Amino acid sequence: MQLTLEHIDLTLKGKKILDDVGFEVADGQFVSILGESGAGKSTTLKIIAGILPQDSGRVLFDGVCVDDIPTHKRNTATVFQDIRLFLHMDVQQNIAFPLKMRKASRAERTETTDRMLDAVQLKGMGNRRPSELSGGQQQRVALARALAAHPRALLLDEPFSGLDEQLRAEMRQLVSQLHQEFSMTSLMVTHDPDEALVMSDRIIHMNDGCVIQHGTPAELLLHPASPLVRAAFNDSSSIEGTVAQGQFTSGKLTVPAPEIPDGSAVLVRVPDREPFVHPLS
Amino acid sequence: MALLSRKTKRKAAPYLMVLPALLLLAVFIYGVGSGIIQSFGIMTYLDRTEFTLEYYEQALTRTDLMDSVMFSLYFSLVSSVLAAIGGVALSFLMTQARSSRFIRLLGIQVPITTMHAVVALAVICLFTGAGLFPRLLHILGIAPDATWFPSVVGAPSGWGIIVVYLWKEIPFVAFTTLTIMRNISTSYGEAASTLGANGWRTFFEITLPLCRGAILRAFLVVFAFAFGSYEIPFLLEPTSPKALPVLAYIEFQDPDIINRCYAMALNGIMAGICTVLCVIYYVVLQREKKQIR
Amino acid sequence: MSSSLSQNTSRPELLARKRRLRRRQAFTRTLIGIELALVLVPLGIIVLWALTNAWPWPNLLPQDLSLRGVEQVFSGRQNMGASMLLLSIGIALACAVITTAVAALACRALCLYRWHGRNAFQFAALLPFIIPSTVFAMGVQVVFLQVGLARTVPGVILAHCIVALPYAMIIMTDITSAAGTQREEAAKTLGAGPLQMIWHITIPQLLPGIISSLSMCYIMSFSQYFLTLLVGGGKVQTFVLVLFPYLSGGDRTIACAYSTVFLLITFAVFFIFELLLRRFGVREEESLYG
Repeated sequence: MQLTLEHIDLTLKGKKILDDVGFEVADGQFVSILGESGAGKSTTLKIIAGILPQDSGRVLFDGVCVDDIPTHKRNTATVFQDIRLFLHMDVQQNIAFPLKMRKASRAERTETTDRMLDAVQLKGMGNRRPSELSGGQQQRVALARALAAHPRALLLDEPFSGLDEQLRAEMRQLVSQLHQEFSMTSLMVTHDPDEALVMSDRIIHMNDGCVIQHGTPAELLLHPASPLVRAAFNDSSSIEGTVAQGQFTSGKLTVPAPEIPDGSAVLVRVPDREPFVHPLS
Repeated sequence: MALLSRKTKRKAAPYLMVLPALLLLAVFIYGVGSGIIQSFGIMTYLDRTEFTLEYYEQALTRTDLMDSVMFSLYFSLVSSVLAAIGGVALSFLMTQARSSRFIRLLGIQVPITTMHAVVALAVICLFTGAGLFPRLLHILGIAPDATWFPSVVGAPSGWGIIVVYLWKEIPFVAFTTLTIMRNISTSYGEAASTLGANGWRTFFEITLPLCRGAILRAFLVVFAFAFGSYEIPFLLEPTSPKALPVLAYIEFQDPDIINRCYAMALNGIMAGICTVLCVIYYVVLQREKKQIR
Repeated sequence: MSSSLSQNTSRPELLARKRRLRRRQAFTRTLIGIELALVLVPLGIIVLWALTNAWPWPNLLPQDLSLRGVEQVFSGRQNMGASMLLLSIGIALACAVITTAVAALACRALCLYRWHGRNAFQFAALLPFIIPSTVFAMGVQVVFLQVGLARTVPGVILAHCIVALPYAMIIMTDITSAAGTQREEAAKTLGAGPLQMIWHITIPQLLPGIISSLSMCYIMSFSQYFLTLLVGGGKVQTFVLVLFPYLSGGDRTIACAYSTVFLLITFAVFFIFELLLRRFGVREEESLYG
């Protein structure tokens, strides 16, 4: 599904939260919204999901305005930072919930639940209670639940921030893989620049309720449109990847790396310097 | 040695901290217990020490006593069930409307703070034969005179008692469920609606099951209160049957001190019914705990 | 050009949705308005009747306003008047302070320590909730007579504390377990002694709970009729005891006058505690939107 936001404005309690926010997510793309907390990222997701109505501007799904459609009919399953599994249901019932809401048959529910459990690598855990699962497992169930809805767009609101570093890496990979498998338009809110760089087809950088830059990961990294965007990548970090034919690649991030021999390499970011690629010998 | 003394101190601390509460509870249990013992015919201060179930037998066979039990059960069950439903509805409305603190203060805290007997007075002012409500009907041309409207005081259906309890307990149930419902409807409610649940389904499939423990607890407190309190039935009930606590107090005051045993047997029945309910609640709660946490 | 065009086309759908939301809001607000009316109108009638000399059938509005009722409440006949009011307030305050302190300590043991009999105690603490206070009142009367607590103010306070205890404990349990021990431990490592820690960390942390519990216990004690009647034996005359006979009596004006004074005192106390709560309590989370 192609997702379009046009001139979204929102003021809550006299405070301007979103100011003329507009962007487009092409069908099947994975797009990240990157920015500091309070930049209006999560609010943007809520407007797309229909949880909050905007003051003006419009939201289009495949070119059709959805402003009149309530949340439960928009079919934009959301994975929340605080997970929000229904505590009074077991894993299976949680995953089957969206299907139940759509009055799917019992057979279809079981079939889809099993498939989803499989997809998030939790086979055989269907009868567990959410409280019996680890944080990472809970977030996988939340992911499976969202996917089971066959959403038109998958919205992810800082889905990994409650997890430790090891789990985050695993979850990133799982999400990227599932995104490809289900080829579904996805929009993820994050404040982690590495996460955005590696996972996204495009990155939207937001600050203070405005979209500052919208482009490919390499564009934002190498040609920041403003000091604010530069500042977002202005911490020390290294991303592991490979170089082939003068191109460094890690996940979806591709940057030119002339004169670097083919093989494994790292992309190094150091404050106040251009990012550079360093070969790993 | 020093370490050991610190360890014993730490071990003793919780026992010292519950001691005052334990003393209060001991007085409570001793008070209730000494009443129950009298219900078995044992009154040491009268040198009666023979155990008998006679008073319970009589209490359960005398028709007027049985009528009282049924009457008490009737109005407390009706009022607590309706209060639970109404309280959940009120809590839901206030959650939906995002009511301000001031509205909650007026709509919930004011009735909780008001004494039951004062509410009974308001009901009397409104619904006796010459009360304000019949006057309104009179002006509308429905009620011809001050005797046409059947007075709420002494109404055999006990509807005045139920109205007083509803006025007090609907806000009480709302009070005990409002916070949890608000938290649930913002977090889990949002999640459910992005997964395709409409308002009603979200309420019945998510909000209500997750609030069940709180609702059940409120229901139980409301029931036990309505079942065991004296003031409201005393002010509004019919001459017969009388509510259990009123009947118990009449027997208790009887100059013939032996009648105290009847009073205590009635009290024993009241305590028994409430305890059974409490145990049911405890079992349900434990099962719920296993499920949720 | 194109931007203004798209903004114009946004109107119908967005407006339709907002209109629907507003309509639903108006509906819920109306229902809440009805509830508020049902709460406030009966109380208003009591106040109005208290200020009426007589309100005969079939007048829907009082014709003959007077302060007769209110004057009688404060006239110094036998047990009435200021001293009786002070006694009631004193008993309620004592009950509020004692019960809250006892509950705070017990909840601390319940929430922050592991010990034998913890579950049994937790269950026992709920007993006064479940077993009606009338049962307790009739049972304890003889016991109090035997030990000389019947017909005394301390006896009445003790009885009130017992029935208020479970309410105070429910209020204190949540806040005690939420506060935990982390900040106290931090204070200890920074050199705070036990008393300093309690004064500077523990009490401020629990203050919202302490204030609600004080308010709750005060109101419970102040409106306790049956228990006071049996334990006080007519010797300890609190405000409710004086008020109650008028409720079923003939003179509606005096009954309403007593009730009005009663309402004013309870609401005043509630209001004071509410102000304290707002002054010291945690601000309510207003951030419904992330």
